[in-house]
Amino acid sequence: MIEVRGLTFTYSGTSDPALQGIDLSIAEGQLCAVVGANGAGKSTLCFALTGFIPHFYRGDLQGEVTVGGRPVATTALADLAGEVGLVFQNPFSQISGARYTVREEIAFGLENLGVPRSEMPERVAEAVDLAGLAGLEERSPYALSGGQQQRLAIASMVVMRPRVLVLDEPTSQLDSSGSKEVFAALRALAAGRKTTVVLVEHKIELVAAFADRVVVLAGGQRVADGAPSQVLAAVDLGVHGVGRTRYTLAALQAQARRLRPTSSALPVTLDQAREFFQ
Amino acid sequence: MTATLFIERPSGLHALNPLTKLTLALGAVVAAAALETLPAVLAVFVLVLLPLSAWAQVLPRFLRTCLRVVSPFALSLFPIQGFFAEGTDVLFRLGPFSLKSEGLWIAAMLTARLLVGLGAATLLMLTTRPDHLMQSLVQRGLPGQLAYIVVTALQIIPGFQARAQAILDSQRSRGLETEGGVVRRVRALAPLISPLLLGSLMDLEERAIALEARAFNRQVAKTSLTELRDGRAEPAARALLVLAMLGLVALRFL
Amino acid sequence: MNLRLEDVSFKYPSGVTALEHVNLTVSDGEAVALVGENGAGKTTLAKHLNGLLRPTQGAAWVGDQDTRRNSVARLARSVAFVFQNPDEQLFERTVRAEVGFGPRNFGAAPAEIEARVQAALGRLDLQAFADRHPYDLHLSQRKRVAMAAALAMDTPVLVLDEPTIGQDAGGVALVGRLVESLKAEGRTLVAITHDVDFCAEHFERVVVMADGRILSDGPAGQVLAQTQVLAEAAVERPQLIRLAEALGWSETPLSVDAFVDLLALRQKEGS
Repeated sequence: MIEVRGLTFTYSGTSDPALQGIDLSIAEGQLCAVVGANGAGKSTLCFALTGFIPHFYRGDLQGEVTVGGRPVATTALADLAGEVGLVFQNPFSQISGARYTVREEIAFGLENLGVPRSEMPERVAEAVDLAGLAGLEERSPYALSGGQQQRLAIASMVVMRPRVLVLDEPTSQLDSSGSKEVFAALRALAAGRKTTVVLVEHKIELVAAFADRVVVLAGGQRVADGAPSQVLAAVDLGVHGVGRTRYTLAALQAQARRLRPTSSALPVTLDQAREFFQ
Repeated sequence: MTATLFIERPSGLHALNPLTKLTLALGAVVAAAALETLPAVLAVFVLVLLPLSAWAQVLPRFLRTCLRVVSPFALSLFPIQGFFAEGTDVLFRLGPFSLKSEGLWIAAMLTARLLVGLGAATLLMLTTRPDHLMQSLVQRGLPGQLAYIVVTALQIIPGFQARAQAILDSQRSRGLETEGGVVRRVRALAPLISPLLLGSLMDLEERAIALEARAFNRQVAKTSLTELRDGRAEPAARALLVLAMLGLVALRFL
Repeated sequence: MNLRLEDVSFKYPSGVTALEHVNLTVSDGEAVALVGENGAGKTTLAKHLNGLLRPTQGAAWVGDQDTRRNSVARLARSVAFVFQNPDEQLFERTVRAEVGFGPRNFGAAPAEIEARVQAALGRLDLQAFADRHPYDLHLSQRKRVAMAAALAMDTPVLVLDEPTIGQDAGGVALVGRLVESLKAEGRTLVAITHDVDFCAEHFERVVVMADGRILSDGPAGQVLAQTQVLAEAAVERPQLIRLAEALGWSETPLSVDAFVDLLALRQKEGS
């Protein structure tokens, strides 16, 4: 679904590339998490996958990004919208400002796509449900809390049923139960509608529980890529500024204190930790 | 929570198509401009706008807003026109100045016209959601970009206000004194205005991205979730109103 | 300096009741974490600690200052508040100037301001960015600038609203070290946080809130093990506590060290 070959990008006015030689292949229906220290290029990757690089952000672009067979660099943004969705960090700036209720705000994207009115109520309801906004449909988007606005941003994209959905730290302002709901919803979307989900996140425990695959970026390069249990258990992960679950940290310390053999694979999730420490 | 005056009410006026309400408002304004006697202009306010606002169940708010906005104008218009307009019918003298009835009459006409114009606009805003009004205009050919700018400008204002309050709170929490003499208050402005402006600029860029991602710029006929009802008699009513307006204007100039 | 909320209730002008009969005393030098769902009233409560909000019922005290009788700017000399969104305060052209804003408002001498700014920049690892424009920095770095700015105010009390949001692993570790050093200096800390693991590691006392009320208030080891209360407040328990439970242990380890110590103890007893 997503093919990235040799992607290198330097924002105009800067001298260091934000991304260097990225090669990536993401299949349909996969939930791929992207982790890494701030400044590693995660947001840049999000923009490159959705066409905002190069159509919105100028710079020196090399390599190729293809989504659903279409080369992103030569497809107009207006044509990509609807196929590819982007949810980014600041929930306030993602409110269109053109609609007075949450319900209509969500429908805004459908109106722009020319979707028939008869289809809209069902799709809006589905998006409301997925993002956990039930009961808030008649509120003004500006009367919502930061966390609710973040859910609104997600709902506004999901309603368009994009084949690829890219989210840059969509749960940063949500509490633990809210975050879990969003991860679960994205998982359901990937499994059910075969939406390809690319999710930039710092919440490692949730990434471990819900992602099919984890890509680690450091200094603009892809330094690790694979199943969560592999990638997040790697011993050298700390070098790349990626967090670990407490389970992994406890296991590492137990190994260091000779309480557990160094040959056993490090646990990443609660269940793996239970087995490890049993 | 928005900067509009819109108040939701289950009234017949609310249920009318936004274009019809717009035409009514324009009709009232044209009538006030074209009619030449004070009773006629006042009649537009008293016999047309007031009953309509009562029908719309917004009478108290309507009156309050009209009076609040018109009063300062009236208060200055009457003395100014009364003393300085040309005329011969002197009512009383105050030193070198004389208050003339012609001047008062001019002030009264200006005030009455202002009252009708303002009343029409207020009634329109009280009974029509800006985005619905824009939607009906876009359906008649208004450029979508322009409509977007108008609606968001109205919505952004309370967002701005909320943000300005948050900024004020932050800076006060860092020891910024906002009460006190003029100099202190002025000095307090930079830490309040800059984050507002900078934040808004950053927002603009991200907002543009968000709009793109929601296919705003796609060259496709846009549909809408809300159906704007147009009663069967409404198109005809609008046509009649427009004719009446043209008629009044013609009468005035012939 | 201690903080006191006495039977505080707060209703917004819109009519929404955000706090109901809240009683809270934070003693000098304590480090308290406030946890709870979005909308539970945590930020509303925190804003009562520096006078930004005044109780509609009850009273709030900062030391011996009644918040109803003191301006926010005055109370800022005792309580430094770090807001969740740094962009609501940043306005100077350089990080250095931004961090010095607080001390300048307090009328400190230039040499003193310079010293405090340097110290604060050092503690938040921002020296390299001292002369950069804050808005050129990443959001997580801007948050650190806001924290440095609060530090430079040199107040006995600090209130941190979601200090770890958006930080990467290195940033979270930095904030953790900062909290520890502030505790070592004897400052009083109140932190609102969604990150229960961070909370468990650094805060001795935890207050759980839901629907404007305090559900539980006590030592972290106790409160974070109260499954029922946390479930009611829709707060996840810390990872290590869940692991201890899964292993059938009765203890509630709050840190990796504590957990591994318990493991070592069991191992010794077993052999």
